Amino acid sequence: MTALTLTPRARRRLVDRALDALTWLVLAVMLAPVAWLLISSLQNDGELATGAYDLLHPTLNAFRDMWQTVEFSKYFANSLIICTGAALAATAFASSAGYALARFRFRGARPFGVAVIGTQLIPGSMFLLPLFMGFIWLKQTVGLALYDTHLGMVIVYTAFFTPLAIWLMRSFFLAIPRELEDAAMVDGCTGFGAFWRIVLPNAAPGLVACFVYAFLFAWDELLFVASLTQDTAETIPIGIRSFIGNYQQYTAQLMAAGVVSTLPVLIAFFATQRWLVKGLTAGAVKG
Amino acid sequence: MSTTTLPTLETEPVVAVKPRRRGRLRYSRNRLAYWLIAPAVAFMVLVHVVPMAGGVWLSFKNLNTFTFAQLWGAPGAGLANYKAILFDAGNPLRSGFLGAVQNTAVYTFWTVAGTLGGGLAVALLLNRPMRGQKVARTLMLTPWIVPSFVVAVLWQFMWQSDVGVINKFLVDWTGLLGERPVWLLGGNSLWAIIIPSIWRGLPFCMLIFLAGLQSLPRDLYEAAALDGAGPWQRFRYITLPLLRPLIAIQLLFGVIYATYQFAIPNVMLGTNPGPDADLMMTLIVRQSFSNNLFGFGAAASVLLMLAMLLWVAVWWRAFRRDLEVPV
Repeated sequence: MTALTLTPRARRRLVDRALDALTWLVLAVMLAPVAWLLISSLQNDGELATGAYDLLHPTLNAFRDMWQTVEFSKYFANSLIICTGAALAATAFASSAGYALARFRFRGARPFGVAVIGTQLIPGSMFLLPLFMGFIWLKQTVGLALYDTHLGMVIVYTAFFTPLAIWLMRSFFLAIPRELEDAAMVDGCTGFGAFWRIVLPNAAPGLVACFVYAFLFAWDELLFVASLTQDTAETIPIGIRSFIGNYQQYTAQLMAAGVVSTLPVLIAFFATQRWLVKGLTAGAVKG
Repeated sequence: MSTTTLPTLETEPVVAVKPRRRGRLRYSRNRLAYWLIAPAVAFMVLVHVVPMAGGVWLSFKNLNTFTFAQLWGAPGAGLANYKAILFDAGNPLRSGFLGAVQNTAVYTFWTVAGTLGGGLAVALLLNRPMRGQKVARTLMLTPWIVPSFVVAVLWQFMWQSDVGVINKFLVDWTGLLGERPVWLLGGNSLWAIIIPSIWRGLPFCMLIFLAGLQSLPRDLYEAAALDGAGPWQRFRYITLPLLRPLIAIQLLFGVIYATYQFAIPNVMLGTNPGPDADLMMTLIVRQSFSNNLFGFGAAASVLLMLAMLLWVAVWWRAFRRDLEVPV
C-alpha cells in the first residue's frame, strides 16, 4: 500500500500523469483507424487481400492504379463541382437569412426559425421519391433537365444544407456589433447596403466557415445522389462502391480512394479550422 | 442556437426623425428581412415542403412497379399501406418492418449514448491543462472529417473475419479472444455499424462539450473545492447541470441523425444488411427502389417521421426549462 504513504501532492501528480496518459491513449485509439487507412493504401492489392502487410516497403501503386480501375476522376470532378456549387449557394442564402434572423424582429421570424430546424425532422426517404418524380415531371413538361445533372444535385444539396447554415451564420452575425450598421445607415447607407458593404465583409471568416461546413456535408451525402443520378452526375460515394464490387483484388485501391476522397475535406477543414470551430461552438454555447 | 432573444429595434439610428418617418423606416427594414429570407424560404418550400406533402400523399397510393408509369395518378389505396405495416400479421413486409424498428432503436440508443458519453468524457480529459493539449484537441477531431462512406469501407475492411485488423488484434496479437468472431454477418453486424458511427460522431460532440466546459465560471469550482467538494461532486453538481442545455441539443439532433442513418450501413453491409442489422432507412430505401414498393416505403417514412415528432415532444417536455427561448 505505497499509495497511502504518498503525500497528497504526489498523489495528485500521479493521478495527473495517469490522466495525461489516458488522454493520449484515447487519441491513439481514435486515430488508429485513420492510420490503418493510410497504411493499407500504401500496400499492394494482392498481398493486402490475404492479410499480409509490408510496412517497410510502402508503394504508391494503388494511388496510381485507382484512376484506371474505376473512372474515379469523373466521380471526383462531379463531387467537386456539385459540392462547391451547393456550398456557395447555401452560404449565400444562409448569410442573408441568418442576417435577417439575427437583426430583424419581423412577423414570422419565430415560425421561420422553427421551420428551418423542422426540415431536419423529415426523413430523406420521405421526399426522395416525390423529388425524383418532380424531376421527371419537370423534364416532361418544361424540358428542364434535373435528373442526373449537376444542376439538379446542386439544387437539392443547397436546400439540404441551407437550414443548419442559417443558424451558423446567425451566430456569426450576432457577434458583430450593431453599431457598425447603425453608423453606416446614419451615413446614408440603405439597410441592404449596410448588410452588403459593412456586415458581410466583417463576417468573412463566418462565410468561409459556412462554406466549408456545407461542403463537408454535401461531400458526405449518399442517399439522394444514389437515386437522383445515373451516370453523368454521380459522385464519389457512388464511385467508391465500384471498388467494393471487385473487393478481393482492389482492397489497396479502395483504401487509396478513401484517402483521396478524405483529403479535400481534411485540407478544407484544417485550413479554416479556427473559424469553423468558433462558429459551430458559438452557436451552441451562447445560444 | 437557442437562448438569445432576438435583438429589438430599440437602438435605431440616433438621428432626429419624426415618429411617422420612424414607422416607415421600421416597415422598410422589416420588408428587407422578408427579401433576405426569400431565397431560403423558396428552396425550403420547393425541396422540403412540397415533396414532403407529396410523400404523405403517396403513402395513401398503391404505387408499385405496375402503376409507377402513372406517377401521381396511381390508384388510391386508402389506409391499406399503413394497415399492412401495423396490423396485418400475415404480411411478410410486417416482420421486416418490426425487425427494422427494433434494430433502429438499438442502433440509435447505443450510438447516441456512446457519442454523448464518450464525447463528454474526452472533453473532460482535454479540458485539463496538459502538455500538447492543443495538438491533441485538433487531432481528436480527425474522425469527424472522414466522410461516412470512407468510414464504412475502412471499417468493413477492418471487420473482416480472417484478414481484418480487428480480429488480428483481438485474436492473434493479444489473445483476448480464442476464436475469430464474424462481424459483418449475424448478431454482431449491428455492432459493426454502431461502433464506427460512435467513432465518427464522438469528436463533434467532444468539440461542443469542450467549448461548453471552457465557458463555465471557474470561481464556482474554486468555491466548491473550498467547501470540500470532491472531483465527482463538482462534476455531478456543477458541470452536469450547467451543461444541460448543450446535452439537450446534442441529444435532440443525435437521436434524429442516428435514426436517419443510411450511408454507413448501406456502404458497409450492402443494400440488404440482413435481418440483424437492417435499419429503417435501409429497409425503406430497399423496398422502395429495389422492390418498387413505393406505397409501403412512403407509409413507413410517414410513420418514421411521426415517431421523430413524438421524440421531439418528449424531448421538449424533458428539457424545455433548460432552454430559455426555444429553438
